[in-house]
Amino acid sequence: MAKATEYVDAGHAVDQATLTFVTGSAPPVARNVTYERILRARSEPHNWLTYYGAYDGQRYSPLEQINTQNVRRLTPAWVFQCGATGLQAGATTYAFEAAPVVVDGVMYVTGWDGWCWALDARTGEELWRYKHAIPFDVSLCCGNVNRGVAVARGKVFYVTQNAHVIALDATNGKPVWDKAFGDVRAGESATLAPLIIKDLVIVGSSGGEFGVRGHLDAFNFETGEHVWRCYTVPKPGEPGSDTWPAKGEAWARGGANCWITGTYDPEMNLLYVGTGNPAPDFDGDVRPGDNLYTDSLVAVDPDNGQIRFHYQYNPHDVWDYDSISEHILFEMDGRKAMAHFDKNGYCFILDRTNGQLIRVFPFVDRITWGDIDANGKVTPKVFPDKEGEPVHFWPGPAGAKEWTHAAYSPKTELLYAPVQDIGATATRRRREFKESIPYWGAGVQVDAEDIAGSISAFDPRTGNEVWRWRNSVPMCASVLATGGDLVFAGEPGGNFNAFNARTGELLWQFQCGSGHHSSPTTYSVGGKQYIAVPSGWGGWVEGFVPGMLGAPHGAALFVFALPD
Amino acid sequence: MTTTGVEQVLPQLIKQNGATLGRLLANGNVGYAKERAGGRMHARVRIPPDELVWDPTVLIMPHGGELELELVNDDMNTHCALLPSNGDSQFIWLVNHSRGTATLHLDGPGYYWYSSPTGNDEGRGLTGAIVVMGDVPEDARLDRPKQPRP
Repeated sequence: MAKATEYVDAGHAVDQATLTFVTGSAPPVARNVTYERILRARSEPHNWLTYYGAYDGQRYSPLEQINTQNVRRLTPAWVFQCGATGLQAGATTYAFEAAPVVVDGVMYVTGWDGWCWALDARTGEELWRYKHAIPFDVSLCCGNVNRGVAVARGKVFYVTQNAHVIALDATNGKPVWDKAFGDVRAGESATLAPLIIKDLVIVGSSGGEFGVRGHLDAFNFETGEHVWRCYTVPKPGEPGSDTWPAKGEAWARGGANCWITGTYDPEMNLLYVGTGNPAPDFDGDVRPGDNLYTDSLVAVDPDNGQIRFHYQYNPHDVWDYDSISEHILFEMDGRKAMAHFDKNGYCFILDRTNGQLIRVFPFVDRITWGDIDANGKVTPKVFPDKEGEPVHFWPGPAGAKEWTHAAYSPKTELLYAPVQDIGATATRRRREFKESIPYWGAGVQVDAEDIAGSISAFDPRTGNEVWRWRNSVPMCASVLATGGDLVFAGEPGGNFNAFNARTGELLWQFQCGSGHHSSPTTYSVGGKQYIAVPSGWGGWVEGFVPGMLGAPHGAALFVFALPD
Repeated sequence: MTTTGVEQVLPQLIKQNGATLGRLLANGNVGYAKERAGGRMHARVRIPPDELVWDPTVLIMPHGGELELELVNDDMNTHCALLPSNGDSQFIWLVNHSRGTATLHLDGPGYYWYSSPTGNDEGRGLTGAIVVMGDVPEDARLDRPKQPRP
């Protein structure tokens, strides 16, 4: 009788983090982050407490230690790297798109493929990590990406590519609760940074390119209990449903996803969210009508998820002009205003108490799809309405500004936008809808030549361009404005730049080795100011700069400071 | 054009040092995790001698949840496993003729790759898949009529 194999006991598998220097614990700094503190976020400029730095979305910090006089001395303080291991969804298109959030010396930042880290904001030491397992086959229109966290009451919140929202214990990264809020079998996913309002954590879905029905969801941030869902395409019989065909199910596949974090006015108690494109993106004949609330501002009551008012930027969009970009809240001549740079190439200044248009002006040189007059009247001119006939238009479907964010400095009273001057050719190709299959209704090729970009500064009172820093390729990363009269913005080629906020003069740059498609933030620890920027080229590069599809594909978080 | 299964046309693709240097990925056996009382699932994967493959290569879970996985290395060489799990990836060394376990927490639906990240075991064939069947919870789905699927 043969002797049975005597196996060596290999034990039990361990967390991969145990094979690193990760300590597994962070100071309990997030415990006292309350809604009231987030309301007054700008009064504690050493922190970057929420996605945009404050509810108003200005992406402005009063910190001024780093300023126009000394920025040339800025050097790397530390670098955090992770890299990609093994097979992952979107292996070739992942990008590092987050906005690092900082609370009293601890940085919370997310990466691609389910990563969330807590880092020592002074040294870059990895304190803990959480890695959600992401299905390899999840539908991701535009790369394996995530844009950041929310922090409140001792918890870190973020979403996963397979549409879960997860609450982690901020001291150790262990999950507290985990809720699915999207259907991956329908083509839904999630990429945005959550927003805390009162006792809610608010998230939105991605997936407009797969013919889903967009929605916002609110959860009690302590318990994970689902509180409300707000659909951004109405069902038959609901307000706005008359903007969809009465027959058929176009509404059910209508898009309007909320894939970027909203801004919030506590006095109005309104959440301002931009919605995505209708589906199919380019074939409008299957969905006649304005297609509310696609490509719109929706002002949502955060207490119940009801839409109070809206402003539609691109009625019956057939160019893929999502209006998901931020709405920057600011005061202008005693008026509660907000600014929105749309993919369609126009900047809209709205009254945020009622959604009325104050001013609209173009912010990119080439706009051929149509025009918008001073009263906001939209006149389409060029669009893919004939089957099989190529149509070229500017801006292309990535827009004159993609999701990456503009900034507003209350000090200079200027808006700063990353601008993409790039066109595309779309050829309508009708197709049947099938759940989870891309539903564009066209073949699309974005220009690889005759392109440009800029960081442009605008006076919202007049719409006049105050200065422009020109680049040979589109600018595809968020802008940061500071009290040091500086504007920071990264380039696709890897340079991270500092500009004089009043003149646009390039004052400093550092080559990070990979392109920028993220949101830099600033903070201070022990009285020392730092500038943090994730660098990791990827995402929908074929949409915003296809000529750079072969550019270096990094994954590093750079943090800069002045020498001691 | 007609198509035929890889193993029928070129069996040398699914062995070591045949047509290719290693073994074409995801062309091995399929196995199923067994569900136990309470919904916890159990499965066993094995590395047979000189094949550099997980057997089964494709492991199917009936739904998302907790999987207790037994890993057996019957090969004459040392390998390891880096496995997906919510919270952190799970790592285990598997020396020659060793047996270990891993506890995995996975959402469904979808599928996940895992591998032996040493040398180029991953490219040679030690890359397996865990398939999670099922649907997301009812309250996470879209309020719309049932839609056609491919």
